[in-house]
Amino acid sequence: MIKLENLTKSYRTPNGRKVLFRNVNSTFPEGKNIGILGRNGAGKSTLLRIMGGIDYPDSGRVVTDRRISWPMGLSGGFQGSLTGRDNVAFVCGIHGIWGGEQRKVMDRVQDFAEIGDYFDAPVKSYSSGMRSRLAFGLSIAVDFDTYLVDEVMSVGDAHFKRKCEEIIAEKRKTSTFIIVAHAMPLLRKNCDVGIYLDAGQLTVFDTVDDAIEKYQGEQPRPKPKAGNANKALKV
Amino acid sequence: MLPWLAWNWFTYIKEKADMESSVQRTVWQIQRDVIHAMLVREMKTRFGKWRLGYVWVLLEPSLHMMVLVTIFSLVRENFYPGIPTALFMLSGIAPFLCFSHCFGKGLTAIEPNRGLFNYRQLRPFDAVLTRTLLEFAIYLVALTCLLGLLAWFGVSTRFNNFLLLVVVNLLFFCFCLGLSLALCVVGQRFPEAAKMSPIIVRSLYFLSGVFFSLEQIPEEYHPYLVWNPLLHVIELTREGLFVQYQGAFGNLNYLIFISVSFLAFGLLTYRANWRDLVRSQ
Repeated sequence: MIKLENLTKSYRTPNGRKVLFRNVNSTFPEGKNIGILGRNGAGKSTLLRIMGGIDYPDSGRVVTDRRISWPMGLSGGFQGSLTGRDNVAFVCGIHGIWGGEQRKVMDRVQDFAEIGDYFDAPVKSYSSGMRSRLAFGLSIAVDFDTYLVDEVMSVGDAHFKRKCEEIIAEKRKTSTFIIVAHAMPLLRKNCDVGIYLDAGQLTVFDTVDDAIEKYQGEQPRPKPKAGNANKALKV
Repeated sequence: MLPWLAWNWFTYIKEKADMESSVQRTVWQIQRDVIHAMLVREMKTRFGKWRLGYVWVLLEPSLHMMVLVTIFSLVRENFYPGIPTALFMLSGIAPFLCFSHCFGKGLTAIEPNRGLFNYRQLRPFDAVLTRTLLEFAIYLVALTCLLGLLAWFGVSTRFNNFLLLVVVNLLFFCFCLGLSLALCVVGQRFPEAAKMSPIIVRSLYFLSGVFFSLEQIPEEYHPYLVWNPLLHVIELTREGLFVQYQGAFGNLNYLIFISVSFLAFGLLTYRANWRDLVRSQ
């Protein structure tokens, strides 16, 4: 169960405070994979960070009895001057995985990331694709009840995306996912429930398709040309 | 005071437990794992980059020591009666370098470690604690190694009081930890403070008895100088190390008082601000 109670979060901007959420109350459906949609700056990543316990709201709180992962994002979490291997060892360490088990996890991550010799090179020399492979591989190596995924799957190539989906499909047997993405097919495929963030409020939709519809309804549409009208409306 | 400190620590740990809903590990295990992993990581970043990394631990204090010895051997043949000048300077510069590192590292504990706070069990407190522990370990290793090295070359004197050294260093650790905790808040709130730090540290260098003993200073300046806790750390370290050292002015009670109150102050400052340190504003 994940429950948001009176959550308020705002940011300081040069023109006064910008409120992301105001008194949001919501209970996320149990045992469902959730896709979060919203425009840039609507607070998707912030919501993930607050749920992951690494950022704090101005007031209110998140109540949960599940083990929630850190948000697997593209930024942060890695020390650039250390090698991929050292970074993985560190994250295993703070999650209490040492010794033989750590080596096993390390092999799994190396296997998943497919970055070859770069695993022993400093992370700062990685491309963004390699970085996200490592980030994703690392986060699935530690067991959680709920995984928070923040856009990490959007940068990889087709091969990487397929692997991610395989892993998610397997993990879904025991865990749930909360995914932030702008790629609709990915959300349709992996999520049961959709959440739409807009104007400081959070709406839970019973299916992810409803949320996608709402999200796309807000977008300015290209004017349909006479001949292509039907095609354009299907976007 | 002490039960209160223990309570402070306890509530801090408790808060961690509330955040971490993991069932397998107790809060203490989490704390231990975090500190352990952080220490390994800090060692790798500190020493891994260049080969000189480990050597630098010994090189830095010995370079300082050599400069001071060169200068003060010119001033007076036998700087402190009964104690070789090299040992006298070493016992002053080693604790001072530890303090100065803690000071600098404390001020910049938050920003460079932003990425680390991506993991909920790792908060600024752990970063500060790890750095202080490491600085302290480096200081003790360097001091022991250099004393051994000098003794090997025949520069030695009679050892005085091990127990006093243990007590002084425990207090010194509390002092450094409290200071670093307070400074990490200051460094985050007022980034300009980092600019002031060299000035403060430099002036303390001249006021803390790194290259003098209080008894060599005219009596009328004593009332001003004895407020400085670092002076007491250095005086008492020398008293613990050397039989011939008079150490008439090092006051252990004052050091106890200052260390415990700095630790309390640091913990309080941190507790009042810890969410703001990591919160996105």
